[in-house]
Amino acid sequence: MVLVLALGDLHIPHRAADLPAKFKSMLVPGKIQHIICTGNLCIKEVHDYLKTLCPDLHITRGEYDEEMRYPETKTLTIGQFKLGLCHGHQVIPWGNLDSLAMLQRQLDVDILVTGHTHQFTAYKHEGGVVINPGSATGAYSSITYDVNPSFVLMDVDGLRVVVYVYELIDGEVKVDKIDFKKTTTTTHSAH
Amino acid sequence: MSPAAIERPMLESACSKSSDESRRSFANLRGVQWRTDLGILPPLSSSTIDDLRKVTADSRRRYACLRRHLLVDPHLPKDGSNSPNLAIDNPLSQNPDSTWGRFFRNAELEKTVDQDLSRLYPEHGNYFQSTGCQGMLRRILLLWCLRHPEYGYRQGMHELLAPLLYVLHVDVERLSEVRKEYEDHFTDKFDGLSFQENDLRYNFDFKKYLDSMEDEIGSHGNATKVRSLDELDPEIQTIVLLSDAYGAEGELGIVLSEKFMEHDAYCMFDALMNGAHGAVAMADFFSPSPVGGSHSGLPPVIEASAALYHLLSVVDSSLHSHLVELGVEPQYFALRWLRVLFGREFSLENLLLIWDEIFAADKNKLEKGAGDDTGSTFGIFSSPQGALISAFAVSMILYLRSSLLSTENATICLQRLLKFPENIDLRKLIGKAKSLQALALGPSISSSSPRCGGAYNHSKSMVVRSHTLPSDSISPKTPLNMVPDSYWEEKWRVLHKAAEQRNGSSGKQNPTPKKGWTEKVRLSLSRTASDPSPAKAGCGNDHKPSVRRRLLEDLSQELGLDEDTEKAGCDEVSGQKDHICKVVEVENQDGVNNDFTCVAEERCLSGIAGSEENSSLFSDPSSPLSGANNHENDSEKSSVASNSSIDETDDHPEANHEDTTLPVSHLPNNATLNSGDNNEATGKSLAVPKERKLLSGKFQWFWKFGRSNDGEETSEKGNGALDVTKSANDAGSQSSTVCSSVDGSCYSSTTGDLVDQNMMGSLRNLGHSMLEHIQVIESVFQQDRVQVGSSDNFSKNVLVGKGQVTAMTALKELRKISNLLSEM
Repeated sequence: MVLVLALGDLHIPHRAADLPAKFKSMLVPGKIQHIICTGNLCIKEVHDYLKTLCPDLHITRGEYDEEMRYPETKTLTIGQFKLGLCHGHQVIPWGNLDSLAMLQRQLDVDILVTGHTHQFTAYKHEGGVVINPGSATGAYSSITYDVNPSFVLMDVDGLRVVVYVYELIDGEVKVDKIDFKKTTTTTHSAH
Repeated sequence: MSPAAIERPMLESACSKSSDESRRSFANLRGVQWRTDLGILPPLSSSTIDDLRKVTADSRRRYACLRRHLLVDPHLPKDGSNSPNLAIDNPLSQNPDSTWGRFFRNAELEKTVDQDLSRLYPEHGNYFQSTGCQGMLRRILLLWCLRHPEYGYRQGMHELLAPLLYVLHVDVERLSEVRKEYEDHFTDKFDGLSFQENDLRYNFDFKKYLDSMEDEIGSHGNATKVRSLDELDPEIQTIVLLSDAYGAEGELGIVLSEKFMEHDAYCMFDALMNGAHGAVAMADFFSPSPVGGSHSGLPPVIEASAALYHLLSVVDSSLHSHLVELGVEPQYFALRWLRVLFGREFSLENLLLIWDEIFAADKNKLEKGAGDDTGSTFGIFSSPQGALISAFAVSMILYLRSSLLSTENATICLQRLLKFPENIDLRKLIGKAKSLQALALGPSISSSSPRCGGAYNHSKSMVVRSHTLPSDSISPKTPLNMVPDSYWEEKWRVLHKAAEQRNGSSGKQNPTPKKGWTEKVRLSLSRTASDPSPAKAGCGNDHKPSVRRRLLEDLSQELGLDEDTEKAGCDEVSGQKDHICKVVEVENQDGVNNDFTCVAEERCLSGIAGSEENSSLFSDPSSPLSGANNHENDSEKSSVASNSSIDETDDHPEANHEDTTLPVSHLPNNATLNSGDNNEATGKSLAVPKERKLLSGKFQWFWKFGRSNDGEETSEKGNGALDVTKSANDAGSQSSTVCSSVDGSCYSSTTGDLVDQNMMGSLRNLGHSMLEHIQVIESVFQQDRVQVGSSDNFSKNVLVGKGQVTAMTALKELRKISNLLSEM
C-alpha cells in the first residue's frame, strides 16, 4: 500500500502559474509516500512545494530546469518494483515506445517514468511498464498547445501496481485506473 | 446406537460433574472465568458445554463480521462491484465515504495505537512485543475504536486489553499442556466418535469404528475412553470437552482456542469497556464529557476520583484532609488508576489477581433504600463492583498512609502515589478493599453533604474501626449546637451498618434517630467490654421532646410486634427488649457505677432527645442519679408504651417483653454502663439537667431499676416496677391499669398466675424505690452543683441551672406518686 506520485513538466513560472486548484486540493500531505518527478519544474519554489507533500522526492533534470544538479536519470526500488525515471527529452524520437523500452532495458527497471511530451501515456510491454504522467499544469509543449493537466498516482502493493490517472478535462477531474501485475521477479532475459 | 446411548448418559454425567465444579474447575482457566464474569459466557453451573460453545461461536462470528466490515482493504472492490466509481474511490479522493478515505483514517488510528503498543509491557516483551500479539492488539483496538467513534482511541485502552489477551494466551498454553498430558483424549480423527451428535453423518461410524478404537488413539466416542474421561479430574474433563473440535459449532466452538484468541479478546474488551450487565463501564472513564444521568456535571472519571476521596474521608479523615490541604487532587493519580484498572501500579501477576476480584464482584446496581433520600451523587457506588474498585483504590492510598502523611510536599505525595511499591501483600490489600467496599455501599456514603469536623470524623473512624473495637471514647470537640439532627441519624446509620456486619445482626435501618439509637445502644451493650457507643463521641445537648415523643410512640408501636429477644435483626423493639434485659442485668451487676455512663451515653445521643432522657433515667436507678429523671413528656409516652407492652406482657410472660416497655430508658442505660468513667462526670451533669425536665414517671422507672439493682435479679421485675411507676405517673386511671398489667407482666416471668398479688407487691416496691430515687436525685443535685463548675459545656451549665428548678418540681411529684403507691 505504497502510494507513489508521478508528475512533471510543470513549467512554473514560465508556461504556467501554478497547479490547477482541483489538483492542489487533492494533493494533501500524509497520504503519499514517494514523489517522482520527471523534470521541468522549473524553479526551486516548486521543488519546495513538492517537498511539503512528501519528504521523499526524486527528480530528474528537464531541459528548462533551473537547478543544474538534478541527475539525468534515476532508479529506485519501491516494494517489489524497480522504477526508472528520466525526463525524456534525451530519448529520441520523443515518446517513442521502442526507444523508451531501450532505455528501460538500459536502466533495468520494471516501471519507467518519462515525460516531456505533456501527454499521458501508459504502455505495457514484455519487459514492463512505461508511464508518461503528462504535464501537471497543462503547460504547452514543444509539440502541441492542447494539453490537459494530468498526473499519475501509483499504488504499489506487493506484486501488483495500480495506476490511477488523474486528468483535468473541462474543469473536472477524471480518474482512470490501470492494473499491472508483475510476474515473479525475473531477470531480464535476452529476447 | 447402543454405544452412543451408553456414551451420552456418561457424557451427561461428566457434564454435570463439571458443572457442579465449574467454579472450581475454572479456577485455573482465567480466560474462561473472566469471560463468565464479564458476561460473555453463561455460567457453567446453569448451562451445558454446548451452550458455552454456541455462545463462544456466536461472539466470534460477530467479531469476524465486524472485522470484514470495518477493516478496509481498498484494493478489494466494495460490495463486490467490479467497477467502483473511480471518482470516489481513488486514493486522493477527498470524499470521506470513499474506501480510501476510510483506509487513511484507519491508518492514522493505527499509527496512534502503535505509538502506545510499542511501549506496552516491555518487561514481558517476549510475548507482548511479538508481532503476532501486537498485530492482534492493534486490530482489536482499531476495530473497537471504529465501532465506538464517540470514544475514539485513548491512551490506556491498550493497557486494559493487554491482560485480557494474556489470560487467553495462558489458557491456551494450559490447554496445550493438558493436551500433552492427556494425549489420548484429544483426538483429531475426524471420523472419531463424538459426544455431541450434531452431525448425523457420523452416526454410522459408531458401529463400524467402535471396536476398532480400542487400539487406536482414543476418541471421545469410545466407550472405554468415556469411562476414563469420567475418571479424569473435572477440570481436565472440562478442558477436553471445551476443546473438542467436533462438538457443537465445531472448531468455532472450541472455547479455548488459539486461532480465535483475537475474537475472544475483542469480546472481553468490549464487555469490559461497555460495562456489560451493569458492570462499571470502563469506557466512561475515557470520555471527557459527563455521562448522562450523573448527578454532578463532571466527567465520570473526575466524579469517580471525587468518590474515591469521599470514601477516603469517611475512612481516614486525617489522611484525607492532609491530602486536600496539600492540594493533591484525586484525579492526578486516580485517573491513571481508574482508567487502566490499576494496570500500571502492579505487576502483571498481581494485576491478574486484582482483576479476578473485581470481575467477580457483584455487578447488580443496588436498589436505593428507603432511607437513601439524598441518592448517591457518586455513580460509582451504585454497584458493588464500582464500590470495590473505589474501595481498592482507597486501600491503596491507606497502604501508603505513613509515607503520605510524612511529607508536606504535594509533588512528593503524588510521586509516592504514582509509584506504588513493588513488594506488597496483595491479599491484605484485597481484604481491606472488601471491607471498605461494604462501607462504600452503606447509606451514609450516599449523602454528599459534608459533615462537621471532629465529632463526625470520630464517629466515622469509629465505624471504620468497628472491626477492631477501639476503646477510645474521645469527647467531641465540636460545639453541640452545631450538630444537625440528621448528623446523628447518619452516624447511627453508619455505625449500625458496621456493627450489623460485625455482629451479624440485622438491626432494622430505622430512619428515625431514636430507633437507631436503641440499636446502637444495644450494640454497644453487646460489646460489653468495648468502648462506649460511638454516639457518645458527639453528644449534643439538643433536647427535643418531640423526638422523645416519637421515640416512645415508635416503641409503643413496636411493642405490638412479636419479639424474640435473641432475634437479631429486624425488629428494634425486640432488640430493645434484648437490650433492656441486658441493661438491667448489667445494671444489677454494675451497681452504682453504671449511671454515669448512662448519663454520658444520654448526652451523646443528643440528637435523640428521648435517649438522653432515658439515659438519665437509666442512670438513676443504677446510681443515685435518679433525681434527674424528669421525663415528663416521656412518662406519658412511656406509659403508653408500657400500656402496649403490658398487653404484650400479658400474653408473653417473659421478662423480655417488659423490656420493651422500657426500651428507651434501658438502652441509654446500657450504653452508659459500658462507657468509661470519663463520661461519668460530664454525663452526670448533663443527665441532671435532663432529668429535671422529665416527669417523675420515668423517674420511677429508675426507681424500679434501682430497686432491681438492689435486690431483684430479674430485669422483668424491674421493668415491671418501672412500668408501674410509669403508669403511676399518669393521671391515675391509666396508671392503675398499667400498673396492674405491668405488674402482672412483671411477675409473669416468675409466676404468671399471681398477677394481682404481684401487682400489689410490685406497687409497694415501686413506692419504696421511688423514695429511694428521690433521695438519689437530691443527692445528685448536690453533686450537680459541684460538677456544674467542672462541666465543659456551657450549655450544660445552663441546663443545669434550669434543671434544678425542674428537678425540684419533679421530686415533689415523685413524692406524691410514691404516696399514692404506698396507699395502694
